[in-house]
Amino acid sequence: MRKDLKLDVENVTYAIGSKIIVDGVSLGIETGDFVGLVGPNGCGKSTLLKCIYRTYQPESGSVYIDGNLTGPMSNRELAREMSVMQQENIVEFDMTVFDMAMLGRFAHQKMFGNDMLHERELVLAALAEVGMEGYEERSFLSLSGGEKQRTLVARALVQQAPLILLDEPTNHLDIGFQYQIMSILKKQGLTVFSSVHDLNIAACYCDKIILMKAGHIVAYGTPEEMFTPEMIYKLFGVNTQVTVNSATGKPNIVFIPSEETKP
Amino acid sequence: MAVKKEKTATFPLQKRSGYVTFCIVMVVIVLAAFFVAVRLGSVDMEFSTIWGVLVNRLAGREVYEEVWRTSAETIILNIRIPRVLTAFVVGAGLTLCGILMQVLTKNSLADPYVLGISHGASAGAVSVIMYGWLNFLGGYGTMAGAFLGAVISILLALRIATIRNKVTATQLVLAGIAVSALFGAITNFMIYHTKTGSDKVKTATYWMMGSLSGATWEKLKYATIAFVVCFILIMFLTKQLDVLLLGDDVAATVGVDTGKLKLWIIIIATLLTGIIVSISGTIGFVGLTFPHITRSIVGTKHKRLVPASMLVGGAFLVIADILSRVLVAPEELPIGVVSAFFGAPFFLYLIRKSGGKFGGGK
Repeated sequence: MRKDLKLDVENVTYAIGSKIIVDGVSLGIETGDFVGLVGPNGCGKSTLLKCIYRTYQPESGSVYIDGNLTGPMSNRELAREMSVMQQENIVEFDMTVFDMAMLGRFAHQKMFGNDMLHERELVLAALAEVGMEGYEERSFLSLSGGEKQRTLVARALVQQAPLILLDEPTNHLDIGFQYQIMSILKKQGLTVFSSVHDLNIAACYCDKIILMKAGHIVAYGTPEEMFTPEMIYKLFGVNTQVTVNSATGKPNIVFIPSEETKP
Repeated sequence: MAVKKEKTATFPLQKRSGYVTFCIVMVVIVLAAFFVAVRLGSVDMEFSTIWGVLVNRLAGREVYEEVWRTSAETIILNIRIPRVLTAFVVGAGLTLCGILMQVLTKNSLADPYVLGISHGASAGAVSVIMYGWLNFLGGYGTMAGAFLGAVISILLALRIATIRNKVTATQLVLAGIAVSALFGAITNFMIYHTKTGSDKVKTATYWMMGSLSGATWEKLKYATIAFVVCFILIMFLTKQLDVLLLGDDVAATVGVDTGKLKLWIIIIATLLTGIIVSISGTIGFVGLTFPHITRSIVGTKHKRLVPASMLVGGAFLVIADILSRVLVAPEELPIGVVSAFFGAPFFLYLIRKSGGKFGGGK
């Protein structure tokens, strides 16, 4: 356990029956870093994240935040240390955008009593931050996918946790919203640990990349170190051309179809 | 970002003033229904008599001169008033149970009747009445039996309805059908096993369709205490209930102790269902209809929803009780018949509204 790390994961193993999904994974995330978790479908990314935010109970291993073991923490204590964005299906019950974002304050509130004035201001500011100003009284269910997701970002922000975990929350959004949400998160100066599907988005926003395959961590490093044609081939089995994006100075990954998959 | 301010609010009464007005209007309706319900019946009372009896009783002295017959006072004080108050408590209580089960399943089709919990409770109550196996608890025996029946049936219903940690509408309705059929059969079997002649039918009707004709101050006292305690407990949990609507996993990451909260919800909902069923039999659809109507008016936040829908559900049952006594006078309809006439079409509407999702989809 390293006290200087924001998030320290040690030897986490998760299995369903005899099938091991996450196999003794250890990783460390430094304070203030934006870290992307990249890997093919079914490699255990989401399961690993769920073990960290405790939706799943790992077979073995420990997770520390600032050197404190998360296992014994109450949900309330953990929510103040770490906020989570995941894919949500809210099917039945409607509420206003403001109320939805205010739910993020739960871990800071007393059991009874009204939302404090500073909390209302905080929620309004967060909604403005994600570009949802003027939508406060709107019905959450009437929003578009991107608007819903931005509202959930606001909810995660008002939770005021220094660490934020993203479990594929932008998957079903179009590319514009994906970039928008990543850049909103990047601006906050929080420690972010996110699973990312789009390699160029990962290259653009992440300080560090963790590559994962078949339940193991394959490599860890900067986008420049990680996104090489060899590494990408090893992970996804596709050929790529990696150049430097002249606008961002980050790696730019272009997919090259192989003989079999050529159109 | 330059977004035009949206004028149309999500809910009609989003503002605090609108909410307070709504509650005041509902209180007035409840009081008006209360007087009408006390007045109407096999013997019609004058409003002046009701008022006089009430004021004299509450003041503990003769404020108004007693011009009415003593029998009128007896009817008002010992039959009508406990009955009307019971109607309110039962209506409000069932509505509260409905809200709790909807939060528990995240599904607006859930309610103690639809899920078969009411039938479980009545089977429990009937088993105590017929076989006396909890008689050592005295007056609480029937209630304890109903509570046990409710606990068993809710565990069974949730177990059938939950697939991969999610309760789909289809599963929920199917589980409810199975559980109510099972416990309804058990109830009827016990009744036909022990009762003879026309008594059988009468008792069975009481437990399967509900009635407030057996209301007494004694039963009302137990039910009211239970209702008030449950109501206060729930008011302390309203914020957590709001968050739980997001789903168990999400609620946990926002900071709710979901396991503990769900346990509390199940305990409160089954306790209240048990006690209500033990004094009124199974009255259907109240917990389904009124949370939904109130939610569409005052919104989803439970701090607002719970008190307002108690008033709406309570008012409805007082009015339904009036109808049950008036529609086929001098006979009396089981109150479950009246509530089903309102609730069943509403249930159909909700199923229809959940449209694509009803297929079990995602």
